[in-house]
Amino acid sequence: MDSRIMIVDDEDMIREAVEILLETEGMDIVTAAGGEECLGHLKAGFRGVILMDIMMPGMDGWDTIREIVEQGFYEGNVIVMLTAMDAPDEKMEGLQEYVSDYITKPFNAGDLLDSLRYYQSLLQPETGIV
Amino acid sequence: MTANNIVMIGVSTGGPIALKHLFAALPPLNAALVIVLHIPPGMDYRIARSLAALASMPVTLAEDGEYLHSGRIYLAPGGYHLTLEGNSRVILTAGPRVNFVQPSVDVAMKSLLKPLRRKRIIGVILTGMGKDGAEGVRHIKAIGGVNIAQDQESSAIYGMPWAALETGSVDFVFPPDKISQKLVELLSGPANNLTGG
Repeated sequence: MDSRIMIVDDEDMIREAVEILLETEGMDIVTAAGGEECLGHLKAGFRGVILMDIMMPGMDGWDTIREIVEQGFYEGNVIVMLTAMDAPDEKMEGLQEYVSDYITKPFNAGDLLDSLRYYQSLLQPETGIV
Repeated sequence: MTANNIVMIGVSTGGPIALKHLFAALPPLNAALVIVLHIPPGMDYRIARSLAALASMPVTLAEDGEYLHSGRIYLAPGGYHLTLEGNSRVILTAGPRVNFVQPSVDVAMKSLLKPLRRKRIIGVILTGMGKDGAEGVRHIKAIGGVNIAQDQESSAIYGMPWAALETGSVDFVFPPDKISQKLVELLSGPANNLTGG
């Protein structure tokens, strides 16, 4: 079974647009409007691909990733930035190892889907076929 | 048989997809390929397994003390720095992070020694944030090797390839599938053709 996708973005319209796109492709989606909500899903057992915005009020994307790592929730997840920032700022330093990809908005839907399917395949159980 | 030629690939964010494109287009080479991807323990074996499913050469996580063999791909495990002893034996060390990362591309590339006559060293820097690998390609150039960097358009983050380019030590700039073609070309010609251009 393919792993789930979590969309973390403070903008309702972005979150809903991405959710509709991915659900149309049969992906199982969870959404979070910010870092705290993202951590809540992880504490509740979410494991899958996390699509993370950077610029969010309160905890931004980098703060959220730091918390994910420090609280021990990274294992079993893939983190992909989905952001309007053309290039990452220096807050990413030290987090490179945990960020598998960096996709900028506006994104190409086909490319995003291809990437997500690939990252889902990485999370298949050891005995699964990649 | 230990490796005659070494291709060392440094890569970070955006790397899984870039490596997928590179290895999908790469036939077996007369070289040992060492990948230093910024990655934590727990994700490294997943990447190795994924690459093994599409690459034309066997892919394994590099193990401490093992000798490199031509026609094989070695992925540096997360949580360690990888160096090569005598351009052939893998050494994994836990030391401090370098350039904020572990494994560090600079640490791995700077462990390479000037190759014996007719042996070839090729450095490749793919997508990623920061400047890890820049000192590495400078070193590879200094010992007579050739360097290739990923182009801006295909890079998820054009940090590491740009930093490598800024050193003046990069010979070629291509997207991943074209890097594969260039590797084939470089490794099929005589060693004295490896002067860059």
